[in-house]
Amino acid sequence: MEVLRRAILQAGPPENFALQTVQEVIKPQKQTKLAQDENQLLENMLRTLLQELASSAVQSGEPIMQYGQSIDDGETSHAQIPRLLDIVLHLCENEHVEGGMIFQLLEDLTEMSTMKNCKDIFGYIESKQDILGKQELFARGKLVMLRTCNQLLRRLSKANDVVFCGRILMFLAHFFPLSERSAVNIKGVFNTSNETKYEKDPPDGIPVDFNFYKTFWSLQEYFCNPAVTLVPTKWQKFASSLTVVLNTFDSQPLSEEEGDTNDLEEEAATFNIKYLTSTKLMGLELKDSSFRRHVLVQCLILFDYLKGPGKNDKDLPSESMKEEIKSCEERVKKLLEMTPPKGGDFLCSIEHILDREKNWVWWKRDGCPPFEKQPMERKAVGDGPKKRRPRWRLGNKELSQLWKWADQNPNALTDAQRVRTPAISEYWKPLAEDMDPSAGIEAEYHHKNNRVYCWKGLRVSARQDLDGFSRFTDHGIEGVVPLELLPPHVRSKYQAKANDRSKRAKKEDSKGAPSQAEENQIATSANEIDGEGIRADLEASAAPMDTDATTGTSNNSQGGTPTPDEQQKQSSDTDIGQEAGQLDADAEADAGMMDGETDAEVDLDVVG
Amino acid sequence: MCGDATKWDEDAYRGSILKEREILTRTVFRTVWAPLNPTPDTIVVASSDGSIASYSISSCISKLQPLGLSNSKAQHFLGAEPDGFLQGHDGPAYDVKFYCDNDDALLLSCGDDGRIRGWRWNEFKESKVPIHLQGDHVKPVLDLVNPQHKGPWGALSPIPENNAIAIDPQGGSIFSAAGDSSAYCWDVESSKIKMVFKGHSDYLHCVVVRKSASQIVTGSEDGTARIWDCKSGKCIKVIDPVRDKKLKGFISCVSCVALDASESWLACGSGQSLSVWNLPASECVSNISSHAPIQDVIFDDNQILSVGAEPLLNRSDINGVILSQIQCAPQSVFSVSRHPSGVVSVGGYGGLVDVISQFGSHLCTFCCQGI
Repeated sequence: MEVLRRAILQAGPPENFALQTVQEVIKPQKQTKLAQDENQLLENMLRTLLQELASSAVQSGEPIMQYGQSIDDGETSHAQIPRLLDIVLHLCENEHVEGGMIFQLLEDLTEMSTMKNCKDIFGYIESKQDILGKQELFARGKLVMLRTCNQLLRRLSKANDVVFCGRILMFLAHFFPLSERSAVNIKGVFNTSNETKYEKDPPDGIPVDFNFYKTFWSLQEYFCNPAVTLVPTKWQKFASSLTVVLNTFDSQPLSEEEGDTNDLEEEAATFNIKYLTSTKLMGLELKDSSFRRHVLVQCLILFDYLKGPGKNDKDLPSESMKEEIKSCEERVKKLLEMTPPKGGDFLCSIEHILDREKNWVWWKRDGCPPFEKQPMERKAVGDGPKKRRPRWRLGNKELSQLWKWADQNPNALTDAQRVRTPAISEYWKPLAEDMDPSAGIEAEYHHKNNRVYCWKGLRVSARQDLDGFSRFTDHGIEGVVPLELLPPHVRSKYQAKANDRSKRAKKEDSKGAPSQAEENQIATSANEIDGEGIRADLEASAAPMDTDATTGTSNNSQGGTPTPDEQQKQSSDTDIGQEAGQLDADAEADAGMMDGETDAEVDLDVVG
Repeated sequence: MCGDATKWDEDAYRGSILKEREILTRTVFRTVWAPLNPTPDTIVVASSDGSIASYSISSCISKLQPLGLSNSKAQHFLGAEPDGFLQGHDGPAYDVKFYCDNDDALLLSCGDDGRIRGWRWNEFKESKVPIHLQGDHVKPVLDLVNPQHKGPWGALSPIPENNAIAIDPQGGSIFSAAGDSSAYCWDVESSKIKMVFKGHSDYLHCVVVRKSASQIVTGSEDGTARIWDCKSGKCIKVIDPVRDKKLKGFISCVSCVALDASESWLACGSGQSLSVWNLPASECVSNISSHAPIQDVIFDDNQILSVGAEPLLNRSDINGVILSQIQCAPQSVFSVSRHPSGVVSVGGYGGLVDVISQFGSHLCTFCCQGI
């Protein structure tokens, strides 16, 4: 004990001698960390010491936290008790002793001290908040700390020690994590002891609408315990009472002047926890805008509770009740807006606050998950701390990637596996199959009704098969499908116009087979100009061409085989004049797309 | 019994039908709070059946209690039985006032029969006669009849009705607004006409006394209000609230006038507009338009309470800003009166009287039943 006493008086920072002192006193088994019973021993000694110091401080008449402070020789020596606390705190912080010790001492100290001294002690606690709040210490002592603070709050007068109360509450708010459950009213139990008493018998002599008075104050019973309101009969009663009150509020709107007379700041100074319920005050209270606001806000809170989550299904209000709640709520909000001063702003703030309140309800319902987000694991990339968010040259990542894509993939255009524009014969195959009435495709799945498919097809046709594309004007989308793809009986329908074309095709066909190689060449030249698109076409047509040549069948005997006619078409693409025409056709195609659907339907009718 | 027509009494049947109709269309033309009572408890009602009846508000409320709040929802009103009942007039009783505030107070009423009658209030109040026997149990101490006009060959006009009365206790006078386009000043002591105020071109609706200047203000069907000097009987000023409208050939009568406590402000209801005049400056300060014709108006300190042919009690300030509108029971309201404690009563069509507390809540609503 004497050693400890001496240690307190020792100058210099505690880390210099604290551990030695402990070792000296306890003679622990381990050098730096005390065992269980050793901790207990030390704690007992410290508590006794603290008690002695406190009692001698009281006897000397000095404030506890300044006892033993001397200002003799220029430098002020520390007061003894804070010194002791500093040392213990240091030991606890470095885990030489059990972490809860400091909290225990603080609790002892506040319990020993008068309120006046407690203020100083609390000042000390506040100054060490950072250390006390460290994870290791906090975990050991949070309950003791909470108990200490609550005890202090209990000893304080709510009315007179407002500032100290506030300090304690602020400290608690900082000390405990936001999601600390210990103070949360998890079940949402209402404080039903907060009863509003009012006169039950009409007063003599003073004229007053006692019925209204009773109706008005009886509302408080519901506000006090909102759960009651869920009982349908009670709700009926509440709703009718509320209607009476709202009617009265409604019929007597407060003027701006009446609102202005209530200076809000002045009101804050003379704040009352509860309104008085005397019948004599009723008239004045009804003219008081802040009184009215209180009542209306109470209504909103109640409605929020009724609508809110977190209740059993059987407790949820019925549909008709919901309707009533909604209409009442709208009325209340309107009244709040009408109530000066600045009713609109007030309503906005209240709505905002209630919204936030809803979040809390949800949070509680979800079992109070912690708010603290663990910091993300910093990536071990050596970018250093000043890594900035990359700036994209073209606005965002996707656009920039698109821009850089060509540079990064130089062989994209020569890759054999690349995606190519399909040949029209391939492309239109599905539609051609659908067009066969015998296939019996439903309109819903018919390709002609797939607008994206049609649009793509028109684009492809406009490039590869201008002749077919031109048939769009006469036959709609189905006319664009190469005739060869169609079954014979369907084909006739679209053939009339295409007669001359097929004639020419035939003519060419007659000499087509022998000059196959030649035509291929032409096609190739076209492809080169057209870019990658037509290559596929060429390849697609190349293989059947061989069979064509070998079997020697005519072009119109089988659907699905491309014709030289097509290839000729490709070559004509190179023509600049046609190119210009194609532009027009493109435009037309776009326009045509608009009514393409209706056209198609008509066609379907005809076919069907 | 069924189908037995031998004892059919057609007259009785006719009588019962008419009576029923009368009850349905009964109208309260005036309500007034009894004097000498700090609490708004006793109210005297003049209705279209010529009766003057007093009601106790507290007993009405106590009868309301078991019914609770549901009463106001359903359009069913308490039928109240009067405390005291006088069959004051043949035909409707249009106005009722108290003369003096002391123990000698007289209850004065006027009506369609052209009479002004007065009863001792104390005698009436303390009468022990059972209610169903009341009616003429108290003898009037005052009975004044309007003079008839002589026509050619001595033909007598009908007795002109009295539409309103005003009291000047200091001068011992009663002013009546009569149906022959003139106002009369009666001397209470001698029961004689002291002064006749002639000048209006149509019958009078209302009259108020401006004691401080010994003047009266009358409102008439001819669309004007006039200020008269009581000493000379001359018209001092003609107030024409709707002069602009008159150009269009549309005249609305001045149905009600009211003076404030300082007697320097005059509210004048004519048609659907209520104009407020400053008498010292002789200037119209504001004009309030309402949706329905205004039928009665009073001052409540510096605010104006007005009622009309709609179930609303309007409260506005002198500048014409409407401060509040309170729904009240009668579909058409003919009378509004205020107790010094701030309780306001309105009476009107259907024999309904609605008493509205100083909070703006309905203290009680009752329907006057005859005896």
